[in-house]
Amino acid sequence: MRPPLKQFLALSTGLASAVVTTAALLIGTPLVAGAAAAAKDPQGNQSNQGAKDAASSKYWQSADMPEREPYRVEPMPPGFQVIVAEFEGPIFADHEGRTLYTWPLRSLRNGATGDRQTKASACTQEVLRVTGGLMSPYPAGLVLPDLDTRPSCVALWPPVLAPKDAKKVGKWSVIPREDGADQWAYDGYPVYTSVLDQQPGDVRGGTKMAGGGDGGVVRDPIGPKPAVPPEFQVLSSSSGRLLVSKERYSVYTWDGDGPNVSNCDDKCLVDWTPVRAPEIATARDGWVIIKGATGINQWAFRGKPLYTYNHDRGLRSFWGADVPGWHNIYTQRTLPPPEGFTVQDVEAGGEVLADSRGRTIYTYNCRDDSYAQLACDNPDSTQAYRLAICGNGDPKVCRETFPYVIAPAGAKGVGRLWSVIAIDPDTGHRAVPGQASLNVWAYRDRPVYTYAGDDKPGVTNGDGYGEFTGKRNGFKAFVFRDIFQGNAFRQ
Amino acid sequence: MKHEQPSMTQQRSKVSHLLLGAVALATLVAGEAAIAADALRDGRIGYVMTERRWAVYETEGGKTECPHGFNLGPREQFELLFPKSSGKVYTEMESHLMREGGAFHATDSKEPFPFYDAGGTMSYGMNLDGKIGPNDFQSPEGVKGIDNQLYRAIGCIGAYRMNGVVSFFDTNDMFKNGYNRWMIELTGVDNLTNDDDVTVTTYRGLDDLQRDGTGAAFAPGATQEVDVRWGQSFVFKLKGKIVNGVLTTDPIDTLKWPNSQPGVSSGYYDMRGARLQLNLTQQTATGLMVGYVDVEGFSHQLNTNWATHHQSYGQLSAPSLHRALRRLADGYPDPKTGVNTAISSAIQLTLTQVFLVHPDQKNVVAAAGR
Repeated sequence: MRPPLKQFLALSTGLASAVVTTAALLIGTPLVAGAAAAAKDPQGNQSNQGAKDAASSKYWQSADMPEREPYRVEPMPPGFQVIVAEFEGPIFADHEGRTLYTWPLRSLRNGATGDRQTKASACTQEVLRVTGGLMSPYPAGLVLPDLDTRPSCVALWPPVLAPKDAKKVGKWSVIPREDGADQWAYDGYPVYTSVLDQQPGDVRGGTKMAGGGDGGVVRDPIGPKPAVPPEFQVLSSSSGRLLVSKERYSVYTWDGDGPNVSNCDDKCLVDWTPVRAPEIATARDGWVIIKGATGINQWAFRGKPLYTYNHDRGLRSFWGADVPGWHNIYTQRTLPPPEGFTVQDVEAGGEVLADSRGRTIYTYNCRDDSYAQLACDNPDSTQAYRLAICGNGDPKVCRETFPYVIAPAGAKGVGRLWSVIAIDPDTGHRAVPGQASLNVWAYRDRPVYTYAGDDKPGVTNGDGYGEFTGKRNGFKAFVFRDIFQGNAFRQ
Repeated sequence: MKHEQPSMTQQRSKVSHLLLGAVALATLVAGEAAIAADALRDGRIGYVMTERRWAVYETEGGKTECPHGFNLGPREQFELLFPKSSGKVYTEMESHLMREGGAFHATDSKEPFPFYDAGGTMSYGMNLDGKIGPNDFQSPEGVKGIDNQLYRAIGCIGAYRMNGVVSFFDTNDMFKNGYNRWMIELTGVDNLTNDDDVTVTTYRGLDDLQRDGTGAAFAPGATQEVDVRWGQSFVFKLKGKIVNGVLTTDPIDTLKWPNSQPGVSSGYYDMRGARLQLNLTQQTATGLMVGYVDVEGFSHQLNTNWATHHQSYGQLSAPSLHRALRRLADGYPDPKTGVNTAISSAIQLTLTQVFLVHPDQKNVVAAAGR
């Protein structure tokens, strides 16, 4: 649960170095400070560097690599800051380093919930007792599980309160709550922190990866826009912040080029097209304009000329990186998974994260059907939903169907993204000290699993297991690349 | 309203457009004829699946095969179990989560709701076991001994009937979901009308389907690259013969057939004793895939690819269907328990001619079955 303020502040050691200053951005310096802070464990020690499988490292960068996403500076309320998180990239944080979220109104199957723009927060102190019937075919009014410990929305999503003399600045404004308190709002939506975030840079309450839909009305971490020229976008994927063209075609770099020098000749240009740049632009944030091999203006990022692949089969693709020497480019990639984890080709078409035996890794998604749309996907939340799906209510069946991925003795996490947590195997909650427990691998502080029905590497038979094809109360494969479905870009 | 006579220029323009249209049509026809003439090259012709549905023989309103009406779906069953009229407040644990958990964890419990098997004497399919038994059907063409017990299980479920949600989306979602890009290639073909020894290899393709000018149908003559990297588990070889333009293959022990809904990174059927019976032309292959579909795999595919919400549209209750599948299963008994593990079935297919592109033949090997 939410740590006391002093504890949180103690965990904030190094926060100053994690905050990327406006000045650093303006001169385009690498975001070294942010990276260093993100790679430390709660005790301030350098953490495990994770899997070292060179063949798979295209999907991640080591925890001590400096590359972090540059961003556009925008005015913020006093004390607010930008932290470049190790997976999500730049996010807004309050003066204590807590990541900020909004909860925009979205539609579900039978209705909508969330905050309306410019309206007072719908996240209140009331402990909701029954379902809202937002997801068919089940009706409203069913009594929610674990009522005796069920929190209110505010208990999990504390509103970020504004002082009485707070003034509108940029996209930030103040919206009164029903109890009369003033709450900061961003782009018209009330702003919250998450009790799941324990340290500055944690973004465990939500993700920038596409969510919502049948997965529920999710909370969105908010942050500044990436500092990329208008010809580009940045998309959140399971492997990091992927750079694509404004039309969402992937952008690639080539080992055959020199620093800010394109060597892509006529033969090369049959398969690759330089990303055209305007005649005049100021070099900043790692972006420069170079003269391509044919004399055209071409964008380069961090010294690497950029291209699109003429044979790409679709948007936001990884096909071009199958050509030796060519690579997708990210503003920042994710951190490596734990040592021993692997990446496997799967018959679903693409690549997934797998354990040391090659068995596909799964994450569990869950959001309840109350109007508060509280997450039930983590060990601090009710386990009733997960146990129903993976074990028909029986924890033993559950452990057999979707076994936890046991961490070896002494294993340490990788940055703040991968950690080892002690789980009570019967309840699924965190174990208390001294209790018999399982030490399991967790991603974003949520256990990961394998599926008993995967009898060999290369299959993802557990994908879709659960409600709404695994998106709402169920399991989804940890996909790095998905040539048919796009699951690498969904939470 | 004043009617304006078209000017000479407009008339000339109209004539020109008609002429252009005629030329274009002639070109199109000639083009298709050229494609057709060339589709069989070096004894090789390929097709890609463009339509599919579990074969359900239907009479109007189901009066013959479903005289008691159609089966109940999740909403109706939920209301029977937890009636609003009772005034009772139910918990999620005892209602919603009990139902969802039960769908994934089948038990041998008795079916608690009425379940209507499809009756009648007619069905699509083939005689898989070479016998004519009391539970067999007769095909519309008059062939007796048709084995299709899956039809009994799904024939009175709205979702599987013509225009039902499964029938519709199984095809419609296939168009944009390349995972389902199932293809066959015939090799060793001397004559597309009669040939007593051809080889059929199944593959998954990587390319989009090519629609015709109407946008509603598919044009032959496109290319499809064979998925040799990820699609190996869908590669199978069957032997067959062509008689009067009809390809009939010998049964293969297991054929793994991809079938997923968009957004789901898994889904397939294991067809035991699978065989194909397809009418071949240079443009299309239409007919049946038949065999014994693995019961547990069928339900797993259903549960992981069709949410209860979507099942509700077609009054499809996965737990009830699963119990029916187990009850009606008629093939591949478990060696230990003797319980049948698979159920006879038929899938209606339309495939459109394509030219298969093999990126690297040396990497393509037929899967060794289960």
